Amino acid sequence: MSLLKRRKPSFEGGGLVLFMDVGDAMRAEKVLKSARYAVKLVAPPPELRRGCDLAVAINLVEQPGIERVLGDKETPYVQVAPLKAGTSDLLDIVKTTDFSDWTMVKAGNMKLTFEKDSGIIVNTSGGGCPDIPHLHAELVGKRLDQAPRPKDIGFTLCALMLDLALEESLNLWQGDEK
Amino acid sequence: MLLIAGTVLVKDMPLTIGEVKADRELLMVNGYRIPCAQGTGAMVSAALATTEHLGLEPPHVLLAGDTGRGSGSRDIYEYLIENVVGLSPTVLALHYCLPDMALTGKLCEAVARCARRPVMIADAASMYAAKAAGLAREFDIFTPDSSEIAFLADPDATHPAYIARHLFDTAVADIPKLVSAAYKCKGATRLLLVKGATDYIVHDGKIIETISEPDVPALEAIGGTGDTITGMVSAFASAELEPHEAAILAARANRMAGKYAEPTPATRVGVVVRQLPAVYRNHLCHWSGVCYSEGVQQ
Repeated sequence: MSLLKRRKPSFEGGGLVLFMDVGDAMRAEKVLKSARYAVKLVAPPPELRRGCDLAVAINLVEQPGIERVLGDKETPYVQVAPLKAGTSDLLDIVKTTDFSDWTMVKAGNMKLTFEKDSGIIVNTSGGGCPDIPHLHAELVGKRLDQAPRPKDIGFTLCALMLDLALEESLNLWQGDEK
Repeated sequence: MLLIAGTVLVKDMPLTIGEVKADRELLMVNGYRIPCAQGTGAMVSAALATTEHLGLEPPHVLLAGDTGRGSGSRDIYEYLIENVVGLSPTVLALHYCLPDMALTGKLCEAVARCARRPVMIADAASMYAAKAAGLAREFDIFTPDSSEIAFLADPDATHPAYIARHLFDTAVADIPKLVSAAYKCKGATRLLLVKGATDYIVHDGKIIETISEPDVPALEAIGGTGDTITGMVSAFASAELEPHEAAILAARANRMAGKYAEPTPATRVGVVVRQLPAVYRNHLCHWSGVCYSEGVQQ
């Protein structure tokens, strides 16, 4: 049963991909549309302009997936930036909690917990993007150094924060191993 | 009718709407089996446990498979925009999805056309989208955790990954300060349930209740234990409790279910959800004054 009348996807997403030249921007739009991302060519505001006066508007939450597609298709870009003036840089700090036999690492809205002895990921929590339950299923039960990286198989900023937590967990666990 | 909308990790599951039933460890909707795992599955499981105890109609759910590419999320938004007036839910709870500010705006416009406006609840990325679009006040209840209240308090962030560093630091130390900032920048709903080591129930910027017992620290590590709170809030709201009453009961029940489960950080959320019937039997009457005997309200 079809429940929907299909509409064109929207792209009011709060993010821009910035480019050095117009050709790169136009190629990126084509590449991203082929990958079924909702994007649009726009003029970046002066404060965000880095190279040319053309940018691709994106849903900022999809930043990791979009950067991966551009990388895979060898499409150069300068950076992805939040559209809203005053937005802070991407969080890069983590906090850890000691649960005796386990360590929980928190990065942004995401948490990853691993067993200290074995390095097995026992839980992930937090977040709210649709790839997070999928990543939970993919990561839990695997050893930190054998688990897939969320930045490689996820698509959203929640996945990027989970990747940051995984990276720090690896550092902690491998540091303890030495 | 309580309507819960969100994505699930069942790959390629098309948009589906229907009444949810329990099938042993799984949820059943129109023949699809949904695991009680982190995300919408955990939320629906807790809501169903609550409606079953209260003798209410089971939740209706609007679900779609989506593992991050967003197509299932957009299907959910678009279906709701077209049909929410006809569905006329008493409570509409939005959960895991790819946040879309434009579609959230259109959904709020559609909800405004309902003959009776539903109680609007958002958690997870539906909450991110509502806040980022400047539409927090179109919702009645948000259920953020400590990092998410920092996000609601940041006037510029469109996702918790972009919150200001000082707010992330504050999220550990000073929740009341973040609550105040969230209201100031219009990032908060009338009722907030801030989930954490201490749960804060906030009405119009004023902290009206804090709940910190029983203290079960391992719950924070278990994926889905915030989702269960939102599921219970939604179910209690559909029983026509006031939002703050629904939030207080949900926070208490989640903690007690955690205590009953005797969890470690490696415990799965399903173990916690399975404690809810016993928690309700043993405590809900005392907590709420609403007592049931064999499904009959006393």
